[in-house]
Amino acid sequence: MAEHAILIVEDDSTVRELLKYRLNKKYDVATAANGEEALEQIERKTPHLIISDIMMPKMDGFALQSKLQDDKNTRVIPFIFLTARADEPTRRQGARTGVDDYITKPFDMEQLLTRIERLLERMQVFQTQLDAEIGRDFSNRLLPKSLPEVDGYEIFFHSEAREQGGGDLFDWTKADDGSYFITIGDVMGKGIRAKFYAFSFLSYVRATLHTLLQESTSPAGILARINEMLLTDEVLEETFASFLLFNWDPSTHTVTYANAGHCRPVIITPDGASVAEHSDLILGLEGNASFKDETIHLDPGTALMAYTDGLLEHPVNGHDVLGEAGILDIAAQTLDADKPIDALLNEALSRGNDDSFHDDVLVYWMQRNT
Amino acid sequence: MSFTVESLSPQTVVIRMGEALDFRNADEFKSTFQSEIDDGSVNFILDFSDTAVLDSTGLGSIFSLYRQISPDDGQVAFADVSRPVQVVVQLTRTYKVFRQFPTVDAAHDALA
Repeated sequence: MAEHAILIVEDDSTVRELLKYRLNKKYDVATAANGEEALEQIERKTPHLIISDIMMPKMDGFALQSKLQDDKNTRVIPFIFLTARADEPTRRQGARTGVDDYITKPFDMEQLLTRIERLLERMQVFQTQLDAEIGRDFSNRLLPKSLPEVDGYEIFFHSEAREQGGGDLFDWTKADDGSYFITIGDVMGKGIRAKFYAFSFLSYVRATLHTLLQESTSPAGILARINEMLLTDEVLEETFASFLLFNWDPSTHTVTYANAGHCRPVIITPDGASVAEHSDLILGLEGNASFKDETIHLDPGTALMAYTDGLLEHPVNGHDVLGEAGILDIAAQTLDADKPIDALLNEALSRGNDDSFHDDVLVYWMQRNT
Repeated sequence: MSFTVESLSPQTVVIRMGEALDFRNADEFKSTFQSEIDDGSVNFILDFSDTAVLDSTGLGSIFSLYRQISPDDGQVAFADVSRPVQVVVQLTRTYKVFRQFPTVDAAHDALA
């Protein structure tokens, strides 16, 4: 699998072809016969690493290297000089310019391959660390700074982001009539891209909610509006999201929800746990999709739980996943726990072989006590 | 390539989805169907008989396919859907968009 692109710059066609032949097995190789040609190649496609001769017609290796140093996009590309013994004095001169490695011709191919691998590996590690850092940053921004506080209710929330996780999102806002809007969703995709879209998407949803709440408090109406946006907005094109929107009114103890293909929320009473059945199509797929509101009444001692698919898809017993049935089973047992989400997650983990979740896991739990 | 493509007619192809469609190979699936779209295919029958894993990135790539071919009255049909795929399809309510058939032949008859 050719994941890394390497550019070979060498005027001697025999050496050039030999290098190309050996490196082609592992890398995506491009070649150039001098510095000028190399710059044209780099313009077309930025390589992950450059191996360059020093003495070449038109533009030599030093000139190429210093040209690349001028541009912030190319100065970070790992650069290996291939030098003839006769070039040793000039090589020492080149040591000032910050080159990553030197290989002296005639060179040992294995040694060159090892060095290439080490340089690319180092780049990869930095990239992974950076991705993880940005990913964590987005995840943190997607977290609520606080939770609603309402007499007679207890609210719990848990979100744990994984590097390979996706675009889980959560938000809440209080409307003028004293009711709350609670948003839980998952933007499809993995890694930073999904997190970035989740972040952009959440900003849009916030703005849309504030505008729409002037006219209506129907979660279904709001989902229909967000669906239209996903299908027409160019930035968010190709973004698909499962989405759950609650309108919770503590004065009437009701929760009106609309569900666009998201994991179905669970209602837990002392008699057991059940799913809030109704759900419609995921967002971003079809223009004329319709959404429906459903209302749940929360009696004292009843909890409502919503979650993302990282919990649902958690592997248990090796080959199976926890699934809705597993979640219902666990949720029914955790109603009386002091920290219901912790109890729920611990039980979910104890049913699998791993001591942590692989995917992002987000859980929202609200409970009416009195 | 982990996806094999079989052309049933100038406009209809079957793609065998293999064991998994997830974040690891979703891009590969995208380039597979993209070249079929470029060749004029609008109807896609996805054979899920061997598929044990379909994650949200994988499903998203199928959505991308649907978004591209639906303006040309194209269809995406699911054939021989395995249980793990069925769970995802139910959860996301996507059976409303992707018709399901017991076999590739049945899907082909319906799309013809």
